[in-house]
Amino acid sequence: MSTMVPSEEYMLGLVGHRFPGGKRTIDRWENYLLTDCTTSPQLDDGLVHPIALFHIPIQGVQTSIAELFEIGRVEGAGSVGLDGYDWEYFQPVREGVEYSCEGQILEVERLYTDDGSMYDRFVFAIELSDQEGQLVARATSFWRLRRGKIEH
Amino acid sequence: MNIKEDDEIPSLNIPSVDPQKMKTMAALLRDPYPIHWDAEGNEKMGIKGKVVNQGPLNLSYLVNMLMNWQGQDCIRRLTVRFTGWVLGEDTLTAHGKVISIDNTNNELLAECEIWLERDGERLLEGKATVALTDN
Repeated sequence: MSTMVPSEEYMLGLVGHRFPGGKRTIDRWENYLLTDCTTSPQLDDGLVHPIALFHIPIQGVQTSIAELFEIGRVEGAGSVGLDGYDWEYFQPVREGVEYSCEGQILEVERLYTDDGSMYDRFVFAIELSDQEGQLVARATSFWRLRRGKIEH
Repeated sequence: MNIKEDDEIPSLNIPSVDPQKMKTMAALLRDPYPIHWDAEGNEKMGIKGKVVNQGPLNLSYLVNMLMNWQGQDCIRRLTVRFTGWVLGEDTLTAHGKVISIDNTNNELLAECEIWLERDGERLLEGKATVALTDN
């Protein structure tokens, strides 16, 4: 876990940060391997496995998990926790379709656990749209950036 | 099939979570977080020799249960909370239950409670909105 705790001012200043945005197409090989990892049989008609809504939006807005760790100033085992997801599907996501991806950091809040450990609640949302501009899916992720025990 | 409130969704068993799939997943996600592939490095977290499954894979077991139930294109929304780690070689069961059924925009939607269990402990829980294609 990182020993350098970023200031609350820095963290709160991340709210509203927009990712660069961009286009993302899901290839057949990628969906095949992803679906295989879930232990599901392969899906029909080029349907992308629904859990692609984790990494496709992140990569589609031209960021990465590593960059999100860097923005949130965390590193090392145990420094990041996954609190939850809110994923909405408005249309099926399919292989070989180019999606436009846009998103931003929605919320940051500095909090403490009952045992006095500090963490930052870190929420970001990314939308996928088709080439006609129709919203296809929205992925909101809730992360916990752990800062360790703070002595008062 | 006539699905109604309080119906249980057929559960899905995961006999053993495969650490090899976590490695493939880490590559697909471009996820540098070592807890998913460095079993020895996890010693300081008290789980030496074990790797931690990725959150999306934990959720995938619930997704697969829902797709087995109502078809591959049935999921409209997933709102979930992670409450515990899934480790390599864990045995899990995905569960679900219908809370309510509504007709929205000419689509019959079931609001479902969903959860993932290991030995009776919930590791992931939340709600799913599912289109009832087989009702």
